[in-house]
Amino acid sequence: MSYGLMKKTTATVAAILCATASFANPYEKFEGTTLVVSWPALAHFSAAEALVDEFTEETGIEVEIDALQYLKLRDRQILEMSKPEGEYDVVSWVVMWKGEYVSKGLLTPLSQFFTSGSLVDPQYDIDDVAGAYLQNGGVVGGKKGYMPGVSGALYGIPFGAETSILAYRKDIFEEQGIEVPTTYDELAAVMTKLHDAGIPALTSRGKTGHQVTAGWLLHLAPLGGKIFDDEWNPVVNSPEAVKAAEFMRHVAKTGPVGIETFGFGEAAAAFLQGDAAMHLDTLKIAAMSRNPSLSKIDGKVGYALHPVGTRCGSETGGFAMGIPANAPNREAAFLFIQYLTNKAGDQRMVELGGDPVRISTLQNNTEGFDDYPIVAEQLPCADPDWRPLIPEWNEINIDVLGQALTQVITTDDPIQPIMDKANEELRAIMEREGYYTWATYRAAQ
Amino acid sequence: MAARQINNPLHVLGHYAALILLALITLAPIWIMVATGFKDDVIVQQKEPIWFFFVPTLDNYEHIMTRGKFDRYLWNSVIVGTVATFLTLFLGGLCAYALARTEFRGRVLVANSTLLVRMVPPAVLAVPAFAMVLNFSLDNDLAVLIFFYTALNLPFAIWLLFGFYKQIPVELEEAAIVDGATPLQVFFRVLLPLMKSGYAVAGIFTFRIAWNEFILALLLTGRTTRTLPVGAAGFITDTGVEWGRIMAMGTLIVIPPLLFTFFAARQIISGMTAGAVKG
Amino acid sequence: MPDAAEEIVPVAARRPWDLSMLGPYFFILPAVAVMLAGLVYPVIQAFYLSFYDWKIGTDFDDAPYVGLRHFIRMIGDEDVGESIWVTLKFGFWTISIEMLLGVSLALLLEKPIRGASVFRTIFILPLMVSPVVVGLIWRYLFDARIGWINYYLGQIGIEPQVWLGDADLAFFAIVFTDIWQWTPFIFIIVIAGLQALPSEVLEASKIDGANWWQHILYVKLPMIRSILLIALLMRLIDVFRALEVMYILTGGGPGRATELLSLHIYNRAFDTQQLGYASAISVLLIVIVFFLSYGILKMGNPLKEKADI
Repeated sequence: MSYGLMKKTTATVAAILCATASFANPYEKFEGTTLVVSWPALAHFSAAEALVDEFTEETGIEVEIDALQYLKLRDRQILEMSKPEGEYDVVSWVVMWKGEYVSKGLLTPLSQFFTSGSLVDPQYDIDDVAGAYLQNGGVVGGKKGYMPGVSGALYGIPFGAETSILAYRKDIFEEQGIEVPTTYDELAAVMTKLHDAGIPALTSRGKTGHQVTAGWLLHLAPLGGKIFDDEWNPVVNSPEAVKAAEFMRHVAKTGPVGIETFGFGEAAAAFLQGDAAMHLDTLKIAAMSRNPSLSKIDGKVGYALHPVGTRCGSETGGFAMGIPANAPNREAAFLFIQYLTNKAGDQRMVELGGDPVRISTLQNNTEGFDDYPIVAEQLPCADPDWRPLIPEWNEINIDVLGQALTQVITTDDPIQPIMDKANEELRAIMEREGYYTWATYRAAQ
Repeated sequence: MAARQINNPLHVLGHYAALILLALITLAPIWIMVATGFKDDVIVQQKEPIWFFFVPTLDNYEHIMTRGKFDRYLWNSVIVGTVATFLTLFLGGLCAYALARTEFRGRVLVANSTLLVRMVPPAVLAVPAFAMVLNFSLDNDLAVLIFFYTALNLPFAIWLLFGFYKQIPVELEEAAIVDGATPLQVFFRVLLPLMKSGYAVAGIFTFRIAWNEFILALLLTGRTTRTLPVGAAGFITDTGVEWGRIMAMGTLIVIPPLLFTFFAARQIISGMTAGAVKG
Repeated sequence: MPDAAEEIVPVAARRPWDLSMLGPYFFILPAVAVMLAGLVYPVIQAFYLSFYDWKIGTDFDDAPYVGLRHFIRMIGDEDVGESIWVTLKFGFWTISIEMLLGVSLALLLEKPIRGASVFRTIFILPLMVSPVVVGLIWRYLFDARIGWINYYLGQIGIEPQVWLGDADLAFFAIVFTDIWQWTPFIFIIVIAGLQALPSEVLEASKIDGANWWQHILYVKLPMIRSILLIALLMRLIDVFRALEVMYILTGGGPGRATELLSLHIYNRAFDTQQLGYASAISVLLIVIVFFLSYGILKMGNPLKEKADI
């Protein structure tokens, strides 16, 4: 109590002595503030806790972290953000929610802070943040609303953002005399070969709902498929999409036991515990494989680009951090985000076992991080339109595709009819939500 | 015939063998939870089960006690559990007493609707309760949970306590009143001693729900009001389920109900059977 | 507190209105008010919400009124039909197996023995364990990779199964878990019922020379019939209320193979955020449950028993 009072008095005295409105350091004004941060219980974020402690030590701004399972974050955050005064100062969202958050007016545009000279560190260099990450996680309002573009506005800074790369077991590949696949045809052949040799091939997410859809989407983009065409007509029964579903079935058949129940964590664990030869999903697997408490395969993992089908297209996912419109301490929240994602913070994340978001960090850390050059090479391929980040996506993702794809991987039913049915359901949702109003209007004219 | 069965040593042996087998099946999963809470992750992740002989570690407990918000969750659970229980007993006791002792207009209606609302599924409450919390910004208020748990438990408590009140002869109260006892004295000196086990049963059952309930707690609590079950589910993380920690947390959650079971098994059984057996 | 002396005076209601008649209402109103506000009002609100298309994160005042649209959608919704079917299937298997096991065990083991109380204590443990914890324990045991069940099946030469990832196996898993948790309950109440039977009747039938089977089939079971029926109805209602164990164990998957109606409502409301539609399905659930409760009510409501005056 008295210590706090003393600090306050000292601060006041210092302020008077300075005799100007400016402060000796940018954090001083917010000393003693407590920020409440909502983010997921993922390895990257638990690694970041040490950096958060350093932030508190350096700035005097206290931070309380509310870490939840990532699929449970949204309910909590929306509830908090739709109150007149919220509790969260910083929220970290899965990129697919940004459209919904912005459309409901729940976030503060970051331009408010980036135009404030006392808040923005001139050395922050936002252009150094990987473009694909920044656009996918942070920008809303370009073409198609959720896509980047000149009309977009910045709402978040990527932190724990990701794209997909192929991780494989060097030892197994060597032993079996297998070349690292660069195309989907090669990949499929490798999977068959491994499976025939009695080795579970590629691990994948496959749990009903969001997870199985995410597993399928990883193959949809490189195989040339999409969810919607440019007029919001669903095309999940196109030959490309069906091919991706067929591939997904192949994954389930040749992969480790239990793919049908795997969320992200289980799928990764299968690889990290040595129960699968390949992992084709987020780059987060690299940091996880280096973590002895999660991994039995450190040192045995090689990395390669996400194989190419008809085009090169890796996922754009992961997380971005932003500030709720009703956050109690918005300026301090901005300082927090800036601290975690500036060059020094990004470098610290690498040391702590997290994933960097800056190009310079990827380039500066070549020793011991075999995955970084691959990530840097993969990033230009990351597809910002990897999934439609519209408010209806959750229903489409979980209720329609999540169900259809479960049928694909758990049964031997013909795939085309399954996807045809999903396509119809998808159309019904879009119809219900008024996406065809313009088309109907134009047709009537 | 039956008499011969029980006297035949072979039958007795078979009888015990069957019971012991059943008891083991019942206990095994609970033991596995307790044991897993004391295992390090390497043992947990290996495929070969180890029942007893492993080097126990307190790491999981240390982690949940120090790294999480265990103290906060525990405190919330204790508050919610005890307040909801006492509130339920108090309100339910009053209502049950009136139902057992008086005739009044609407009595049948109250009796029937109490039984009906007992069946309201928690899933039905979820959306309206969530809307309520949203409208009034109540998600950081333990009172919401206490309120819903009281409401959910009242019908059963009333039902149970009614049965117990019915068993107490009215004459006892009348005699006390004739002796000049005040209503409060009648309650505390005459009724309460006789109702002790009734209130204990109703209390245990209410506490069980308030302590264990998950789905409403998940929806209606925020960062500062989370209860233990919600906290435990937090160990289902995105890097997989942290089995050691979650089982340690599970073990801690189970302790109070377990203690009740050991010390009040007879009362619990009387509560369970009250509905069916007494009719 | 009103005068208790008035409580025990017969309120024969000869006089049309009298202050002493207010006594019981003072006792009853607080509890009734809480139940009205906490149980009845939400049900009414669910009904109300089912006419609106309300999304989390938006003002309810802005939610469009959609009339009966949700109900019309529900009638044609295969997913709702499927989850009702799953619920009924789940109810059928769990209740019949639990009844069969519980009743036969009770009949076999009914004789009072030394240490009976120890066993009873053990048998009620599963009911005291938090549903979340039950779900977690079995999720661990059924895990395809590190689960103990697969390991022991492997020992007897059975291939590892993906218990929670195959529609039939996952359904088996939730049934199995429920049986583990609830069979002891049936066992205990049936034993209590059997031991409460008047011994004269049982003796009489023995003297009549009925053998063991006849004794059970024609004497004992009919005498505990009402216990069995109430237990059955209660369990059936429980099946429609259940969601916590499934929420943790399978989340309703794979597909909707283990998505009981309650869980379906929850998932619709909070996974895909269709609050209005979920409310409409809630209304259906309430109707089903009230229908079943009415059955119990018909069996006799002890609360209606005349007061001792």
